[in-house]
Amino acid sequence: MATEPLERARQEFLAALTEAGCDPARVEAVRVRFAGRRSGLLRELEDALKALPREAKPGYGKALNELKTLVEERLAAAQRAAEDAGIQRQVLDVTLPGRRPVTGALHPVTLVRREIEEIFLRMGYSVADGPEVEDDWHNFGALNMPPDHPARDTQDTFFLKDGLLLRTHTSPVQIRSMETMPLPIRLIIPGRVYRRDSDLRHSPMFHQVEGLVVGEGITFGNLKATLEAFVHVLFDPRLAVRFRPSFFPFTEPSAEVDITCVLCLGAGCGMCSGSGWIEILGAGMVDPRVLSACKLDPERVSGFAFGCGLDRVALLKYRLPDLRLLFSGDERLLRQFEGVAR
Amino acid sequence: MKLSLAWLRDHLEGAPSADELAKRLTACGMNVEVREPAGPDEIWDVDVTTNRPDAMNHRGLAREAVAAACGTLKPLAINITEGATPVGTLARLTVEDAQGCPRYCARVVRGVKVGPSPAWLVERLQRCGVRPINNVVDATNCVLLDVGHPLHAFDLAFLKGQEIRVRRAHAGEPITTLDGVERKLTADDLVIADASRAVAVAGVMGAANSEIAPSTKDVLIESAYFDARSVRLTARRLGLKTEASHRFERGADRAMARTAVDLAAELIVRLAGGEVAAGVLDSNPDLPAPHEIPFSLSRLSAFVGCEIPRELTLRVLTALELAPRIVGDAVTCTVPTHRVDLELAEDLYEEVLRHFGYENVPSVLPSAAMKPGARLGTWPLTERGRDALTAVGAAEAFTYAFVSEEIEAATAGSPLADRGAVVALDNPLSARMAVMRRSLLAGLAEAAGGNLRRGAERVLLGEVGRVFFEKGGKVAEEERLAVAVAGAVGPWDALRQADFLDLKGVVEAVLAELGVSGTAWRHATAPVLAAGEQAEVVRDGCVIAIAGRLADAVSTVFDIPATLWVAEIDLTAAVAAASVPTFEPLPRFPAVTADLTVRHKLTLPYDQLVAAITAAAPEWLEAVSPVVRYRGEGVASDEVKTTVRLTYRHGERSLTQDEVNAAHFALMDRLGRELAVSFS
Ligand SMILES: [Zn+2]
Repeated sequence: MATEPLERARQEFLAALTEAGCDPARVEAVRVRFAGRRSGLLRELEDALKALPREAKPGYGKALNELKTLVEERLAAAQRAAEDAGIQRQVLDVTLPGRRPVTGALHPVTLVRREIEEIFLRMGYSVADGPEVEDDWHNFGALNMPPDHPARDTQDTFFLKDGLLLRTHTSPVQIRSMETMPLPIRLIIPGRVYRRDSDLRHSPMFHQVEGLVVGEGITFGNLKATLEAFVHVLFDPRLAVRFRPSFFPFTEPSAEVDITCVLCLGAGCGMCSGSGWIEILGAGMVDPRVLSACKLDPERVSGFAFGCGLDRVALLKYRLPDLRLLFSGDERLLRQFEGVAR
Repeated sequence: MKLSLAWLRDHLEGAPSADELAKRLTACGMNVEVREPAGPDEIWDVDVTTNRPDAMNHRGLAREAVAAACGTLKPLAINITEGATPVGTLARLTVEDAQGCPRYCARVVRGVKVGPSPAWLVERLQRCGVRPINNVVDATNCVLLDVGHPLHAFDLAFLKGQEIRVRRAHAGEPITTLDGVERKLTADDLVIADASRAVAVAGVMGAANSEIAPSTKDVLIESAYFDARSVRLTARRLGLKTEASHRFERGADRAMARTAVDLAAELIVRLAGGEVAAGVLDSNPDLPAPHEIPFSLSRLSAFVGCEIPRELTLRVLTALELAPRIVGDAVTCTVPTHRVDLELAEDLYEEVLRHFGYENVPSVLPSAAMKPGARLGTWPLTERGRDALTAVGAAEAFTYAFVSEEIEAATAGSPLADRGAVVALDNPLSARMAVMRRSLLAGLAEAAGGNLRRGAERVLLGEVGRVFFEKGGKVAEEERLAVAVAGAVGPWDALRQADFLDLKGVVEAVLAELGVSGTAWRHATAPVLAAGEQAEVVRDGCVIAIAGRLADAVSTVFDIPATLWVAEIDLTAAVAAASVPTFEPLPRFPAVTADLTVRHKLTLPYDQLVAAITAAAPEWLEAVSPVVRYRGEGVASDEVKTTVRLTYRHGERSLTQDEVNAAHFALMDRLGRELAVSFS
C-alpha cells in the first residue's frame, strides 16, 4: 500500500509526543522533526506524492491531509499543556516546609530501656516493677546487707521517716519477686533509683535495669552466655565480653563485666581511657543468704542476677557527654531522638 | 590500695615478672588498676574488694598471688629478743568489755630514742601513701602495711597508773583525738583508757594526751581485735574514717593481733633501740574453734556449669590456707582467722572459680520451659502513657522526683495533688531537693520554663512518672502523666500562640490514645492554675485530670517568661475507665450535611448548645461538629457566632433534601425559642 509510510509516521509522531510530556523544549523538538517547514517528515511525505503513480495519488493525498490535521491539533494541545505546567510550577514551590503534624520523641533512657526489655522479652523474661519508696529489709537486709554493713556506705541513701528510704537500686524488686512468684523466675527489672550523690557522672536520681533468673540447675555458665547474648544484641556482635571477679553482698561469686569499647572497638580512646574496655555490668550468682531470705532453698535452686545503669547505656549509645543533661528537660536535646525506632 | 611491688616480692619465693604478676592478680579479682614506676620499684594501686580486708596488705596480697600460681609464700620470720623485766611489772591490762574487744595484746619497749626513720622505711611508707612521722609510729604503720593489722603506740609515761582499761566511754566524756579535734563520746563508744581518762577511741584514733613525742622513752604497743560493728558505729557517729577503722569495720584477724605486736616490737628496737619487756599482755589468747565448711566437688562443677579439676581445687584452697581435706567427692575446709568473709559452700565455690578463671567457663544459655514474657505491675500503664505522649507530638522529659518545699507547695494546689501529706527527705542533698513531688508539674513546669528562658519559640513537653503521698503513716505512689504547652502552635502558624483549646486538644488526644471515653470537662478552681482559665476532666464523678493556664503566682515561683498551659492526668484512674472498641457497622446510606450559624451569649457553653441541637433534631441527626467561631465586628461584645456542621443520615434509607430542609428549619425554630439565640 502506498499509504504505509503515512501510517508509520503517524505512530512515530504519537509515540514521540507522549514521550515529550509537558516539557516545552521536547514538544518543540517533536514539532521540528515532524512539522518543520524545511526538513520536517510531513514535508518529505508531501514531496513523495509527486513520485506516485496517478491512480495512487487521491488515496495518498487524503490520508496525508488527515495526518497533517492530526499533527497540528496534537502539537497545539501539547504546547498548551506544556505552557500550563510551566505556570503551575511557578505557583507551587515544593521546597516550602510542609504543614507538618508534630511528632513526639521518647526520652533516650526510655529508648534504651525498651530496647533492653525487648531483647529479654524475646527470651521469655517478664518486666517487673516495684515501689520507689522502700523499707530497709527489701533494700538492704534481704540482700545480705544487715544494719551497719560496710557495703551500705557505698550506697548513699536518702532516708524518709519511719525507717523508709528511697530505693538505692532496683534489687528490692528481686526480693519482692522471689517472695511471691512461682519458680522458675525470669525477670528484667528496670526502674528509677536514688542515691545521695551529684556530679558529672552521678545524678541523685538515675535508672537501673536488673535481670534475675532463679530455678533449678542455673549455672555460672548460664549467666555468662546470657550477658554475652545481651551485649551482642544491644551494641554490636563484634564486641568481646570480659568477666572479672568482684564483690557484691547479694551475689556469690560476683563479677564485673567489661565490653570492648563501643567507640574504638578496643584500640583505645578517650571514652575508655585508652584501655579499650568499658565497664558496663555487675553480675553474679544469687547469694544463698538472699535465696534463704526469700524462703527459697539454696540446696535446691540457684540463680543469677545482673544489673547496669540505664543512663550510662544511653550515654554510650547516643554519645552524650554529661549524665545531668538527661534530667534537664531541654527540648533541643530530647527532640534529637525523634527518629529513633521504638 | 597503694603498695610497693618490691615489698610484695619480699613475701614471695619464685615470683614471675611484674607484668605476669599483675595480670594473674587482676584475673583472680585483685585488680591492679595503676602501675607507676618508682626507681627500681613500682607503685601499684590495687582495687581490693571490701569483703577482703585480709588482702589489703602486702602479705595478704602475696598469699593471693600464691593461689594464682605466682610462687610460694616465704615464712614470716620473727626474731624478738626480750629483756628480763616482765611486762606485768610495767603495765596492767583490764578489758572491761570483752564483747567490744575480744582480744587485746600489748608489749612494752623501754628506752627508745625517738627520731626520724631510715630512708628505706620513709621511701616504702611514701610509696604506699603514708606520711612518715617518727621511727616508733612509722614502725606501727609499717607493720600495718605489711600484715594488715592496725596498731597504736602509747607513751607509757603518759598512761596514768601504767594502766590500760578497755571500757565504754562515760556519756559526754571528752577526748582530743590526734587530729586535734575535741570530741564528746557516748556510752556506746569503746575507749582505751588509763587509770583516769580516755587515751584512744578504740579502733579509730588515739588521743593527743598519750601520743609518741620526741621525749618518749617507754612505749606501750597496742595490738587489739575490736568488734567490727562497735568500731563502725563510733567511726560513723564521730565522722572519723581512719586506716584503722576502715580495717576493723571490715573484720580484723584475731590471731594476727599477737603476731603483729611481736613484729612491731622487733621493728621498734631495730629502728629506735631500747629493750622489749618479757612477755605479752594478752587479754584472751584463746581463739574460738575454727569454722569448718564442707562442700562437694560435683556440686561445685554443677554450680559453675563445667567440670572443675580436682587438683586445681585442692591447689587453690591449700594456697589460700583453707586446709582442704578430701574424702571421695566431699571436701572440708577450715577457715583461718584472717578470712572473715568465708561462711558457706558458695563462698568457697567463688574462691575456686576465681582462680579457675571466669574466662574458662563455657557460656551456655539457660534452658527453661518456653513461657511468654509480659510487662507486669504498672509497666503496661506507664508505657501506654509514653506512647500517648509521643502520639500527640510531645518530647518525653525526665525531671527529679524531689523538689524544693516552695515549688512543691506551689504545685500541690489541685485535686490530684492534695491526696495526702507531703513526704520529706530526712537527709536531702540540698534545699532544692528537699521533698517528694505530689504533682508532676513540679518538675515539668520547671523544665518548660528552662526551655522558654533559653528562647524556645514553642514548648510541647510531657512526662510520665510517680508522685508520692503520705497517707495514714504510709507512703503511697501514684502514676501520673503531665504535659506542658507554650508558644507558637506550629509551622506556618507562628503568629498564633497556644491557647486553652490547644492544651485541651492535646489532653483529649492523650485520653483517646489511652482508650478513655465518656469524659466531661467542667470549670475548676485549682489554685495551681489561673482562675477562670482551667478545667477538670471528670469521668463517672471522679476527677481524672486537670488542665489550664499555670497560675501567675506559680509562674513567678518558676520564673517562667511566657504563658504556660499545663495538664496532669491520673493515669491509674484514667485507664481504669478505658475500654476496648468493638466494630460498629459502617453506614450504608449517604449523609446530608448542613451548616448552622448560631449567634448566642458567651454564657452558653458549647456542650449545652450541642445538647439543645441534639434534643431538637430528628433521631437521624448523626453528628454535630465545630466549624468556626467568630467574635468581633457585627457581634455584640457579650456574644459569639458559632458555626457547626450537622450531619444527617438515616440508617435504613436515603434522605431527601426536602425532608432534611424541613427538619433543619424546624430545629432552628425550636432552638430560637428555647435558647434565645438567633441565626444571622
Ligand atoms: Zn575506646
